[in-house]
Amino acid sequence: MKIVRQLVAALLFLAAPALLADAPDVYAIRGGTVHPVSGPAVENGIVVIRGGLIEAVGANVAIPPDATTIDATGTHVYPGLFDAQTFLGFAPVKGSDKASEPAPDSLAVRNLKFSEDDVDAGRANGVTTIVTAPTSGIFNGQSVVLNLGAGPLESRVIKSPAAMQISFNTRPTWTYPDSLMGVMAYIRQTFLDATQYAEGREIYERAPAGLRRPQENASLEALRPALRRELPVVFIADSENMIRRAQTLARELNLRYIISGARSAYGLGADLKDVPVLVSVKWPEKPADKEDREDQPLRVIRDRQLAPTTPAVLAKNGVTFALVSNPGKAGDFIPGIRKAIENGLSADDALRATTLTPARIFGVDRQLGSLERGKIANVVVADRPIFTKDAKITRLFVDGRELRLPAPDEKKSDTSAATPIDGSWALTVRAPQGNVSIQVTLRAEVGRLTGTFSGDRGSGDIRSGSFDGTAFDFTISANAQNEAEASDWVFAGTLADKTMTGTVNTTIGNFEFSGSKSE
Amino acid sequence: MKKLLLVLSFALFLTLPAIAQERVTLIRNATILTVTRGTIENGSVLIRGSKIAAVGKDVAAPSGARVIDGTGKYVLPGIIDSHSHTAVEGSVNEVSLSNSGMVRIADALTNDDISAYRQLAGGTTTALVLHGSANAIGGQSQIVKWKWGRPVSEWLVAGAPRTIKFALGENPKSSNFQPPAGQPRQYPSTRMGVEEVIRQSFTDARDYLAQRDEYESKRKRGEAAIPPRRDLLMETMADILAGRIDIHAHCYRSDEMIMLLRLADEMGFKVRELQHVLEGYKVAPEIAAHGAGAGTFIDWWGYKAEAYDATPYNVALLVRNGVLTSVNSDSDELARHLNHDAAKAMKYGGLTEDEALRTCTINPARQLRLDHRIGSIEVGKDADLAIWNGHPLSSYARVDTTFIEGEVYFDREQDLVRREELRKEKEERLKKEEAAK
Amino acid sequence: MSVLSTGTTGGLRRAGTARNAGWPSLNARLSRGTRFARKDTQRAVPARRRRSGRSLLMNGCFAVLFAFSASAQSVIPNNPGTKPVVAIRNATIVPVTSAPIANGTIVFEKGVITAVGANVAVPAGATVIDGTGKFVYPGMIDSGTNVGLIEMDSVAGTVDTTELGDFNPNAQAAVAVNPHSEVVPVTRVNGITHVVVIPEGGIISGQSALIQLAGWTPPEMVMKASAAMHIRFPRLRSAPLVNVPQDEDAEKERKKGYTKELDRLRDVFRDAQAYSRAAAARKDDRNVRRFDRDLMLEALVPVVEGKVPVVLHAQQARDIRAALAFADEFKLQVILSGAQDVARVVSEVKSRNIPVLLGPILALPQREDDAYDLLFTNAKLLYDNGIRFAIQTQDAHNARNLPYHAASCAAFGLPKEEALKAVTIYPAQIWGVADRLGSLEVGKMANVIVTDGDPLEIRTNVQRVFIGGEEIPMDSRHTLLYRKFANRPK
Repeated sequence: MKIVRQLVAALLFLAAPALLADAPDVYAIRGGTVHPVSGPAVENGIVVIRGGLIEAVGANVAIPPDATTIDATGTHVYPGLFDAQTFLGFAPVKGSDKASEPAPDSLAVRNLKFSEDDVDAGRANGVTTIVTAPTSGIFNGQSVVLNLGAGPLESRVIKSPAAMQISFNTRPTWTYPDSLMGVMAYIRQTFLDATQYAEGREIYERAPAGLRRPQENASLEALRPALRRELPVVFIADSENMIRRAQTLARELNLRYIISGARSAYGLGADLKDVPVLVSVKWPEKPADKEDREDQPLRVIRDRQLAPTTPAVLAKNGVTFALVSNPGKAGDFIPGIRKAIENGLSADDALRATTLTPARIFGVDRQLGSLERGKIANVVVADRPIFTKDAKITRLFVDGRELRLPAPDEKKSDTSAATPIDGSWALTVRAPQGNVSIQVTLRAEVGRLTGTFSGDRGSGDIRSGSFDGTAFDFTISANAQNEAEASDWVFAGTLADKTMTGTVNTTIGNFEFSGSKSE
Repeated sequence: MKKLLLVLSFALFLTLPAIAQERVTLIRNATILTVTRGTIENGSVLIRGSKIAAVGKDVAAPSGARVIDGTGKYVLPGIIDSHSHTAVEGSVNEVSLSNSGMVRIADALTNDDISAYRQLAGGTTTALVLHGSANAIGGQSQIVKWKWGRPVSEWLVAGAPRTIKFALGENPKSSNFQPPAGQPRQYPSTRMGVEEVIRQSFTDARDYLAQRDEYESKRKRGEAAIPPRRDLLMETMADILAGRIDIHAHCYRSDEMIMLLRLADEMGFKVRELQHVLEGYKVAPEIAAHGAGAGTFIDWWGYKAEAYDATPYNVALLVRNGVLTSVNSDSDELARHLNHDAAKAMKYGGLTEDEALRTCTINPARQLRLDHRIGSIEVGKDADLAIWNGHPLSSYARVDTTFIEGEVYFDREQDLVRREELRKEKEERLKKEEAAK
Repeated sequence: MSVLSTGTTGGLRRAGTARNAGWPSLNARLSRGTRFARKDTQRAVPARRRRSGRSLLMNGCFAVLFAFSASAQSVIPNNPGTKPVVAIRNATIVPVTSAPIANGTIVFEKGVITAVGANVAVPAGATVIDGTGKFVYPGMIDSGTNVGLIEMDSVAGTVDTTELGDFNPNAQAAVAVNPHSEVVPVTRVNGITHVVVIPEGGIISGQSALIQLAGWTPPEMVMKASAAMHIRFPRLRSAPLVNVPQDEDAEKERKKGYTKELDRLRDVFRDAQAYSRAAAARKDDRNVRRFDRDLMLEALVPVVEGKVPVVLHAQQARDIRAALAFADEFKLQVILSGAQDVARVVSEVKSRNIPVLLGPILALPQREDDAYDLLFTNAKLLYDNGIRFAIQTQDAHNARNLPYHAASCAAFGLPKEEALKAVTIYPAQIWGVADRLGSLEVGKMANVIVTDGDPLEIRTNVQRVFIGGEEIPMDSRHTLLYRKFANRPK
């Protein structure tokens, strides 16, 4: 009977990964080198998983009779990697070019939209847990710790909110704050307001009679746990000066804080002893062109060469740090970690910085971050030590469930849904000398607007487009009349069903335009 | 008690070697342009630690002192630039509001702006880094010393007064700038509106203070009350009214200067320094009567309508009318040779050599209320000075060495060596990258 | 999504008439547009425009919008129109092309220098000026300015530097110089008697004019109407790269645009060559088929024929190299302008025997890593390498500071005499007018300044100025304003 069950399980597994949910949830991974992280590596070790949790880890562990045994001989077994700063499920941002932005009460878990492809990309690197939040705006909102498992989103949440996340992003010119100084003042004022708000609520709730009722404010309400130091505040800061600014603010406002980014923290070392750091392994790149490289300041060249030494420097100075992928893509994570190792970080420290340490920083180390009895069974198997070149993830368990790994040749499908701006539009620009007709074909994807234009002013691709659901903007290189020479026309407008209106900004003035959708 | 004393004396002992090892430098045989105490031919300046310890004709070199032969050279106090925008990360303007008094330049300073070093090479050691002029009331500014190579926190001049930028005329009314596409023009767009913004802001500040007082008295009476909102902008305005923040007001036309000075009298605040003040010469007596200083540049004129009546004689006329006047840069470039502007104040309007030198040293120091520390070569002052290879009022002169608080922050000989080292480092780093491919 | 209502009471910036009491909504409007200039005093640098010269939009209503009502017509007295016999005696005379003469005399009449020396007889009837303790120099020449083309940078109606479109070889500065600009007297009273007025913008900006800073009409001022053709050589990057470009699409666009600009410049020059050949053929043989005239190409004919020099404006080494290759290809007579990176291309410049117009000298190096004194030392480098050079300001209102740009080179190693030459005889040679300008020599134009010292020293006062033998009033808008307000009643 037992054998039959095992056989059925094995067959199911091999035949139909989609049916894994029905498979039994007892596994024994045996024969590999087990890296529990919380202790020394165990050669020829066994990891037993049951009911989503780790039941046993060690060399002399009995394999339960109901377990599906996985022969991991010659391979390496790790806790799933924990990428503590991602924007998975959110559109990447470019500068201040952003239509809408989150607020302190925005919960990442409510707003994230990711495809299984995104999740797969993370899993392919051995990542089983992430922290994610948007990186747009100043108050990015509250991040979430998430398992990259299967099933409904709610079942994947480890902790929400995980942290209040703040970026030093400016807003577009003429919208407060449009300078770094303004951003600093904005953050300061917002926390002051939250303090006053909390104080006001408390006074009012104690004895409301005779007091004017304070206004409800969800954003300020959301900051109260941060003021009480219950919710950590993550500051995204890369350069030494930016890190110091974050430190100044955090101390001034008495926040429990975390620095994220920190690529240029190699010069700070011990100055970061009192703060956990999430070091981005998206290392600065060099320009493709040799002349450009020679033109660059030594400061920039030095920085890109020293940045990958940051993790080693922090390790040497006893700083608590994790390695994270943001703002890079999932695929950059392991190569980025490898570069840190090439620059002096030990593989053990790298492993700790991608497992137990991030779990500790976000207060989930009782559940995650190591292979220990009772912890969540996020386990990865790699065909050689995980950070060595060409190492491949061969098996991956999230919440005790084995998940399929994307085949290397699987193409990422372009599956994002159509948006109301997608399609062809006939635009009329009202210039004093007469109307100018331009046809555009637009396509929006995660906030980015692409497409082509043609008409009275030549044709070509549109550039620098964005679309937030209502407001859009894009730039075309418009030919002057009868001439091949072009200048930029920047369209900015809003969309209402099948019409659009707005202003086009040109070197010779601003004009209004309107457009309708061509069916 | 005894134990405490023991500990104390031990602590003292520990700090003693540090004092004994204080850097001592003697510059001798140079022409010392003290600015406040005349010129000393074949004179010496003794620097002990961060301060000037002796100035005179006969100063003996203490043992262990570094001695610099200043034969044929000139020593000038570090030049002070009371209008700089150097070393600010991001925009120097918070453009969005007509009063952005809550923002602070100190929050956005960066220590990797090479302009700071280049200014040291022109003998400039101290600057007032100002917010831009996009708004009638701009952000809070910051006085710094160009301690190149040190963290930003060490650039800030401790104990320096707080300052704020005001701006009048074409810039705050956005005369020469288009709003972003799709945005309407923003208030104000006339000099009337600029006045209104300032008047409104101070009126609001008085209301803000009254609200706070009401709350405080309620609280003292034991009545239930919810504390009013702490508003960083209103706190700034209140601090200006209380005289805790000095106003540096960008202005061009004489009418707007009169407007601000009268408004100041009416609303009860003081204008510390009129900046640019290109038509200051037209109303110099009024400026002097208010007690405002003037910080201007010699040459720039005609770049916009409100600069059409600028003349290089402005400095001389202001000085002759008793206005505390400085030449300043508003430019990373000009900040490297403010000595030229000082010399031009002699050429245009005939200031004396001493008067001219003051316009880039002690006068800006006074405007920044730091004349007890900087701006002249006097015993006890910060050892901020530069050794020039010729008279600093000569267009042929250049700086050999610049000191801030006794430390060498620029030295031409070192620079020549260092630039070769840096060139090599860059070459090697690029080579390393090529090899790694 | 909720909105952070942490408004301050002081948000006074408001749109239209609606007072916006709070901070702008977090749901910010998308916008891109002009940012405030970093410095409020920064001169507006003419933007590189890429529009057609025949754009109806621009020719129509827009120019009117910018019209400025204020007069830009100076009331300062101009040259008197008389060229008397003048003798300046007992002065230190610095002819520039020969050794200074102590206690010398210089005589000029009818606008021409007739005698210079230690023992020179004063002609009967001469106006004698006692030069005791004074110095006499030739008037200085600024090889690159916008004098007369700009009155107020920010007031478009007073700016005539930059024609629309990329190719304007037929745009001539000579026809647009305003003789009554306030900038003219301001410049000449500091001893600058001649300037080259250059058009800006586009790729082929147009033709510069060498003018004297005196005259009642443009023709009275212009010495050389087509001093040179000015090309702003296409650049891949407007400044050397600092940070790695993040927007790959924009980067591709940039490279494409750069290549396109270069191609178009070559096309225009090839067309001009063809035009030149065809015109020559038809001149020789009336049977050659007639063709319609093209004024744009016609303007380039003397350039491709090597009769009129091309001033190539380029700063970065890669652009200078590309510009030189272009000049080689079309066998042009070249003057290099700007050339901050000249130290990196010394051999290329030297081997072609190309003169260089350096300046502005009082400007910032392009790269963070450039030596702080790079622009101060370039002149010495050229001098040491035997490369011809002159110094220019590239300014309008402050072309008067030309001597101090030169002095800054001397402060960093250029011999003082060379610095003086770089603003007198060298530019005269480069512009082909050394027979008339640039030194105090018999037979040359009487462009003479009398000073109380070295004119390259800031503290020196220029006391008298003669242009073509006419004595120029020492007044300017600035001296008038000074006198007016020095005499304000107490």
